[in-house]
Amino acid sequence: MLRRVAFAGALALATLFAAPEQAPAQDAIRIASPYQTTTLDPMRSAAAGNIEVYGLLYARLINRDAQDQLQPALAESWEVSDDQRIYTFRLRDAKFSDGSPITAEDVAFSLNRVRTDERSAYPAPLGSVEDIAAKDEKTVVFTLKAPFAPFLSNLDVWNMGVVSKKDVDARGEDKAFTENPVTSGPYMVKEWRPNDRLILTANPNYWREGYPKTANAELLEVSEAKTRLGMVQTGEVDAIRDVPWSEVDPLKTQENVELKLEPSTVIYMVLLNSKREPFSNAKARQAAAHAIDNKAVTQAVTFGYAEPANTTLPGAIDFHDDQHPGISYDPAKAKQLLQESGMGDREVTILIGTSATAEQIAVLMQAQWNAIGLKSKIQKVDGSAWWDLVAKGEYDASPTWWYNETPDPDLAVRWALCGTCGSDSFYTFYTNPKVDELTEQGTAEQDPQKRAEIYKEIQRITTEEVSQIPLYYPPYANAYSKRVQGLRLTPSLQWTLEEATIGG
Amino acid sequence: MQTLSLLVNRLLQLLPVLLGIAIVTFLLLKLTPGDPARLLVGDRASEETLAAVRQEYGLNRPWPVQLGTYFGKLAQGDLGESIRFRKPVSGLILQFLPPTIFLVLYVVSLTVPTTLLLAIAAARNHGGWADQAIRVFGVCGFTLPVFWVAIMLSRLFGVELGWFPVSGYGTGFLEHLHHLFLPALTTSIWLVPVMVQSLRAALLEKSEADFVTAARSKGLPERGVFWRHILPNALLPTLHLLGVMVAYLIGGTIIVEAVYAVPGLGRLMVSSILSRDYSVVQGLTLFFALATVLVTLLVDIATTLIDPRVRL
Repeated sequence: MLRRVAFAGALALATLFAAPEQAPAQDAIRIASPYQTTTLDPMRSAAAGNIEVYGLLYARLINRDAQDQLQPALAESWEVSDDQRIYTFRLRDAKFSDGSPITAEDVAFSLNRVRTDERSAYPAPLGSVEDIAAKDEKTVVFTLKAPFAPFLSNLDVWNMGVVSKKDVDARGEDKAFTENPVTSGPYMVKEWRPNDRLILTANPNYWREGYPKTANAELLEVSEAKTRLGMVQTGEVDAIRDVPWSEVDPLKTQENVELKLEPSTVIYMVLLNSKREPFSNAKARQAAAHAIDNKAVTQAVTFGYAEPANTTLPGAIDFHDDQHPGISYDPAKAKQLLQESGMGDREVTILIGTSATAEQIAVLMQAQWNAIGLKSKIQKVDGSAWWDLVAKGEYDASPTWWYNETPDPDLAVRWALCGTCGSDSFYTFYTNPKVDELTEQGTAEQDPQKRAEIYKEIQRITTEEVSQIPLYYPPYANAYSKRVQGLRLTPSLQWTLEEATIGG
Repeated sequence: MQTLSLLVNRLLQLLPVLLGIAIVTFLLLKLTPGDPARLLVGDRASEETLAAVRQEYGLNRPWPVQLGTYFGKLAQGDLGESIRFRKPVSGLILQFLPPTIFLVLYVVSLTVPTTLLLAIAAARNHGGWADQAIRVFGVCGFTLPVFWVAIMLSRLFGVELGWFPVSGYGTGFLEHLHHLFLPALTTSIWLVPVMVQSLRAALLEKSEADFVTAARSKGLPERGVFWRHILPNALLPTLHLLGVMVAYLIGGTIIVEAVYAVPGLGRLMVSSILSRDYSVVQGLTLFFALATVLVTLLVDIATTLIDPRVRL
């Protein structure tokens, strides 16, 4: 008996240790991010970890370069009709990773999925489109419902990548996007270990000749910030996302690591629920906002690395109103407004998820609201429950953040400030018909100067009426190993991995 | 032959246990607020999209129907598919199992010799300075938060000294040994004191047992008494404790797996719970239950080898 058990044990051990795992033959660029890759289908998810990956696997018609200019990518050239409604793109001769040509039909298929599939995570960037059709092998025609100024800019959003129609038809969605997907971007998937890492290798057929400059890359999921820090310091990875603010200074003195504060379109703010009392009352919202010293909050939470927010839109976005004075910190005025609102006796719930930052902000809010006589309690739930409660409007206030996937403000306004655009102003249920009207005008107008005026007006109204309490505009705090050059994270959450090199 | 039928019997008894666990886990998950569809599609999805995704994965059906479907699949040995990754749950468990098993065996092989050494030293030195010192270190090891110990060891031996990697699992046996040393050490730091305390107490108790007095009265030298009579008899309670601890570690090395970024089962469990990946949580719970029963069985077999009076 004993011998048999021992034998079985030895056998189990042997198989365990002999389990084949490919050793990385060549050097690779490794990036550690706390955000998970859950799907490789660009249509299916708008979660942060997936957004980072899509751009590496799927090429888009046009790309935004480091100077913020739109450049031809899969599209070689394009024409716009005089009435600004028909965009005709001419594709270059490019191939998928499996060697098959990228045709106009693939483009129409990919973007129509995003636009019309009911499971599409984010159809909004193509909301202006009436029809996408392949005219011939290499020509694809977009017909818009009406002139739409940010149309080209929206084609650079992360879910605009081109997938292979032939492959999706042949293997079915589930297989086509979980097992070695056919890609059009700089990389293809060598191995995907869900919940752990995505191993990439160069797509030999990528349209951009000589790219990617480094053939191998790995995206690792590491939830602990301290672990990511250790990994970049020991050289186990070459780049990490989300360095905690408290670690920014110590990291600056490291020899082999470079800390970069990269521009982002992130805004931290406080959601106020306009659907129920007390914050359905505009004066109560204004009181809550004037009570908060957002400069002090910014200093305390981000050690001064972020910019205090002055309007309801992210600071790095086009047409952000830098001149707006913001909501002043004025406890006396706040007290008076609270009294006028008649809501002074309500106790409000500050809902927070598991993020340490949200908790810090909540505690500071609580103290500052207390000072004007607004009582509050903090309710902490996990991320999943947070979304549940917020989307149903079952909260009073919640400190959180959002970002915009492109510099154009249209998608940001539709997401966070427009009451009739589908997301109930980021579930604050704030609604102002004037803002909704301006949202439509903002895209119909083609002249940038006039657009600037429109978005200025939107920011003025929503900041004054406190649709949300703007807190601060943080940069992305990422750390890079000095052996890697040319790697950065764009404001649209895309890694410039194809341009990155090792050594030197 | 008799042993074999007893084994089969034990495994059969397992079925109702697993069934109960599956039902309870399922209901608990249904009672927890949160929506896997939301986490899957991300922030900006509309209600219509969410509804379509729930429909696609059958999340909108009444829960008794979902439970029925689940058991139907389970009866065929199918743990289902991860909602997040669209990959089979069994495949995911197998992917994350090797690092966990390696880590647990590593912890055992660090813990067992250390425990024997320290407990015997303490017991033979009862009340002496060695006993006191071991007790003080034990209290420290047991009371320090695992999270803190893990971060400190990782900073010191990983980042400052560069002796060990601070993350991952590596490839090949030697790299596994290297990568998992700090996680195993961190775990042993709290496990050893628990084990030492148990073994030391048993050793002291047995050293005053009647059969030991009898052995001494026969004039056996003290060394012989200790090695042949006290130690073997004192081992059993500690062995059982080790069994419980190993079963716990298989699903419970969550903190060290997170701090050292080890791709093990604990990490899979936590992320599955956070993203409400129901089928993976259920699959893992069943797996942990099964592992616990198997470990207990192994301990029982070992017991019969140490103490011939005990039968399975």
